Amino acid sequence: MSAIPAAPDRWQGVSRALLLPAALIVIWQLWALSLPAGSPAPAPLKVVATFFELIVNGGLAMATVQSLGRVLLGFVCAALLGIALGVLMGSSRIVRENLDPIVESFRPIAPMAILPIAILWFGTGTPTALAIVAYAAFFPVLVNTVHGVSRVDRKLVLAARTMGVPTLTILTRVVLPGALPSILLGTRLAMGVAWTAIIAAELAVGAKSGGGGSGGIGQMMFVFYAYNIDLNAIVVCMIVVGVVALMIDRLVRAAEHRLLPWRN
Amino acid sequence: MRSMAIAPKPTDAPPRAAAPAVTPGTAGPWRRLFARRWAVTLRAFAVFALLWYAAHLWNDNPLQLPSPGKVVSALWELLRGGEILEHAWVSTLRMLLALFLAIAVAVPLGFAMGLSRTLESYLDPMVEMLRPISGIAWLPLALFIFGVGDALPVFIMLYVAFFPVLFNTVAGVRQVDPKLVAAAHTMGVGRRALLTHVLIPSALPTVMVGVRLAFAASWAAIVAAELIGSPSGLGFAIEWYRQLLMTPKVFAFILVIGVVGFLCDAGLRALQRRLTPWADGMELA
Repeated sequence: MSAIPAAPDRWQGVSRALLLPAALIVIWQLWALSLPAGSPAPAPLKVVATFFELIVNGGLAMATVQSLGRVLLGFVCAALLGIALGVLMGSSRIVRENLDPIVESFRPIAPMAILPIAILWFGTGTPTALAIVAYAAFFPVLVNTVHGVSRVDRKLVLAARTMGVPTLTILTRVVLPGALPSILLGTRLAMGVAWTAIIAAELAVGAKSGGGGSGGIGQMMFVFYAYNIDLNAIVVCMIVVGVVALMIDRLVRAAEHRLLPWRN
Repeated sequence: MRSMAIAPKPTDAPPRAAAPAVTPGTAGPWRRLFARRWAVTLRAFAVFALLWYAAHLWNDNPLQLPSPGKVVSALWELLRGGEILEHAWVSTLRMLLALFLAIAVAVPLGFAMGLSRTLESYLDPMVEMLRPISGIAWLPLALFIFGVGDALPVFIMLYVAFFPVLFNTVAGVRQVDPKLVAAAHTMGVGRRALLTHVLIPSALPTVMVGVRLAFAASWAAIVAAELIGSPSGLGFAIEWYRQLLMTPKVFAFILVIGVVGFLCDAGLRALQRRLTPWADGMELA
């Protein structure tokens, strides 16, 4: 691979990469053309047209921004709680032994299972969506923080203590930097989970409260499913969901590179 | 793509394994250690139940937060009526079917992609394009295609389970020690024997990790899928009792989801140990 000149190799790679998706899209379009006119089935060209339509009327951008805002807010709550608790659990065996059973028994419960309770507690608006996101993002952050903190080199902590460094400084200067790679990994996983959870929450709140105004891109999808039926718009939403997920992942990875220069 | 396969390792490896080892002073027999851990666990749950009860008293709205006792009695009632077994059975069957289908498709594909760079260069971009679209986002479209019923949850879970299995299979095949393959070649081993005696045994531990990740992801997705698009199953039951405002039963079913998820994971772990006893170093959690 390395011996071959770069340019033709890259062209070959690009053409190979595009072959399968392009073929599938062409088949999809041909299949859609063969259907009788007025069929609700989505088609690539119609999807593109719908995309521009939704961009022009601003609905798509609004919904995406609303969902993203919720993800960020819920994530911040989860990260603050998760890192604080994770540092406690990672550095103290007693705390960990006592909390581990509780944490481990909540972990297999999916965020969506909490949704009915969240609706009972907070209604069908933003707080419910926030609660679901925070619950979903909490566990990856917590588990990875505990893992990172408990893996911090004991010798470093002892050395700092020997030199009379106060506990708080040890925490911020030794423990947290040592655990940072693990914490950031947890952050990346949590952001991914949070984005999935917000879509699910908005979708389900829309579905289960008579289309109640939860807003966001998930609810937008539900409206296109249940009220003004438009499968092309649903496909547009799906693509947007995928692109945003990809962007979130890339952003957090970039942050990892910036914050952990010693790992590259 | 490779980092996806490797990334979840720390997540799934809480420092539990290290916890019991840190008792240098009390070098008692194993049994005492276990008894101690059980005691701690029991105490933790007792404190949790007490806090819950206190919150219930303070909240004073049984529709929002029933007391632990109410939930336990609702659980008992549902268990005796057989309702829990029925829904849990339906959900578990769907999950197993989806997991089986995902493995049947993703493992051969993963082996092919891991062994052939050419095939991977054709397929990988497509996979990477689909992967960010979460299974949940497929729900509205899948509702149109499959309607409300059994096919929808199975499809969603199949989709969700597919990616971890695929990525871990590819990673597992790539991790096979080249020296082993070279040695097999030197000894004139045929392609088939190479596959069954070298490649599969070396890749299997990583594949099993992928299966466990796939299970966790699809078990999380089943609730969403059943909640929205299914007339049966645990997710449906939760939503049903919420609409009837029978909160204790909602809590009971959530408990069941956690328990079934835990049991299935324990089963998979046991399977992992049986299938790949040589993968000691790779054992997670």
